[in-house]
Amino acid sequence: MALPRPPPNDHGRRDCDSKKKRKEAEIYQALNSEPIDVAALRRMAISEGGLLMDEIRCKVWPKLLNVNTEDLPPPPGKELREDNKDYQQVLLDVRRSLRRFPPGMPDEQREGLQEELIDSILQVLQRNPQLHYYQGYHDIVVTFLLVVGERLATVLVEKLSTHHLRDFMDPTMDNTKHILNYLMPIIDQVNPELHDFMQRAEVGTIFALSWLITWFGHVLSDFRHVVRLYDFFLACHPLMPIYFAAVIVLYRAEEVLACECDMASVHHLLSQIPQDLPYETLISRAGDLFVQFPPSELAREAAQQQAERTAASTFKDFELASAQQRPDTVLRQRFRERLRAEERAKALLTTKPRTNRFVKLAVMGLTVALGAAALAVVKSALEWAPKFELQIFP
Amino acid sequence: MATEVESSLELSLSTSGTEPGTLPPPRSRIFKIIVIGDSNVGKTCLTFRFCAGRFPTRTEATIGVDFRERAVAIDGERIKIQLWDTAGQERFRKSMVQHYYRNVHAVVFVYDMTNIASFHSLPLWIEECKQHLFTNDIPRILVGNKCDLRSAIQVPTDMAQKFADTHSMPLFETSAKNPDDNDHVEAIFMTLAHKLKSHKPLMLNQPPNHSTVQLEAEPKPTMTCWC
Ligand SMILES: Nc1nc2c(ncn2[C@@H]2O[C@H](COP(=O)(O)OP(=O)(O)OP(=O)(O)O)[C@@H](O)[C@H]2O)c(=O)[nH]1
Ligand SMILES: [Mg+2]
Repeated sequence: MALPRPPPNDHGRRDCDSKKKRKEAEIYQALNSEPIDVAALRRMAISEGGLLMDEIRCKVWPKLLNVNTEDLPPPPGKELREDNKDYQQVLLDVRRSLRRFPPGMPDEQREGLQEELIDSILQVLQRNPQLHYYQGYHDIVVTFLLVVGERLATVLVEKLSTHHLRDFMDPTMDNTKHILNYLMPIIDQVNPELHDFMQRAEVGTIFALSWLITWFGHVLSDFRHVVRLYDFFLACHPLMPIYFAAVIVLYRAEEVLACECDMASVHHLLSQIPQDLPYETLISRAGDLFVQFPPSELAREAAQQQAERTAASTFKDFELASAQQRPDTVLRQRFRERLRAEERAKALLTTKPRTNRFVKLAVMGLTVALGAAALAVVKSALEWAPKFELQIFP
Repeated sequence: MATEVESSLELSLSTSGTEPGTLPPPRSRIFKIIVIGDSNVGKTCLTFRFCAGRFPTRTEATIGVDFRERAVAIDGERIKIQLWDTAGQERFRKSMVQHYYRNVHAVVFVYDMTNIASFHSLPLWIEECKQHLFTNDIPRILVGNKCDLRSAIQVPTDMAQKFADTHSMPLFETSAKNPDDNDHVEAIFMTLAHKLKSHKPLMLNQPPNHSTVQLEAEPKPTMTCWC
């Protein structure tokens, strides 16, 4: 499944350089247009190479989250660390997060950044008492801290926490579990054999938990890969990380199937993420999958997973969750709308939804070029974005 | 009690897919052990120490459940010891960890001897464990970690021993870090493995300087820290 890589000759490099230059110019053009062309920025963040460099990320990430960089909050006071219920846990986690900092960084500098990291996290939590800290949140915040610096990181993460990460920050992890329930249905759509094997092994989905709630920051050791993924996720639907998780599992299908069919072996294999994944290919595959099997189509199966496992009335839980203001709410509404639409469609033509899917698949087959696939994601991201933006942009 | 444990051990054998009637290939038995306790008590360090033979240079917060394994020979039989290292933060154990209680053969409760709060959390962990396990007969042990930090000890041994007695668990005080304790962490897990293997009282030779510990179903040995 790996992409055949062109031999690294000078010609290829020059080609690549000029492509990069061109993209850089396009990004600045989008940034400088009046009003700022956020849709174009989204597209750039998704397509090959993402936002290219941290200097650009500092400018574009705030736009993707619609954060105003002019009026940043004042630096925190001393009282921040005094009365915070999560302070101890944050401290423990940040102290142990040495691996997240560049290997050559002098201790003193790293320690300074760790203090900033603690402040950043506590500030967001203090201003949003409805948010609850989880182990792994620090892996997300450190990424922002290293790219955009403390003050901007705090505002970006605050926005992110009240939207993309909102479900993870509930008092319990029930909603996180719900999101993990999308994993197996996605795998099932693409590779039923793999799906069945994993079900037989009873591996569960916890191997993907840290992937999901840290946006892979916890498991990837090369920081460049982490920020590339963040470009992608910031530009996409909040459920995209679970599609990316599925794509990684699918990419490793042969390895998984060759493994002993038991929980320990499969969990062990999958939780050791290979560091040399073909990220650009996987990103575009995740985009394809998202378009082919949007969350709304999988919602029912995801809910069923839950029901099978806990025998609880999940649909009630489902309804409860959707009553709250979450990005996911939009999905669930769309799911219900679609259900109704589907019923109507069925009355007219029973095969319609299927046909649709095949048509989509055929189109996907043609869009081998990464750019085209990315475009499709953007289109669906935009289709969803206006509603989401209503929440992001009050 | 012995039969209970035996049958649950058999379970992991039979799930490896041998047909009844045909002779199964000689494969190692698996002992599945779950390690639980508050965040930062040293669960990751202890399991790493046992499986890799050394104190890890650095650990990170465990998110969800990590898995480590080591093959050992006990009385000539090859046995795989699987350690499931769980996240300590409360929110994880509430909804995430329960899947991993499935078919466990033993439970290791860990607290940090230099942190009394981690000791006070033990009743919660024990209660939670009870809810997830179908039987009370699963061997459980209590481990006080970080005994190398002598001047910072907050949990006195007699207090811990009393608690262990009330819950009929053997207590071990140890250090995942101290390089002089080379074999002690090892001895703890091996003791447990022996117990799982034989379900008979057994004599276990402790590393030099330590009294021999007897591990039986009823008596509760004290394993005091020597460092
Ligand atoms: N001095 C000393 N420090 C230890 C010992 N064991 C662990 N530590 C330290 O305690 C801290 C926590 O250890 P971990 O193994 O990560 O703790 P954990 O229980 O896995 O924590 P969570 O994954 O958050 O649940 C680390 O900084 C270790 O270096 C020990 O025996 N002695
Ligand atoms: Mg740990």
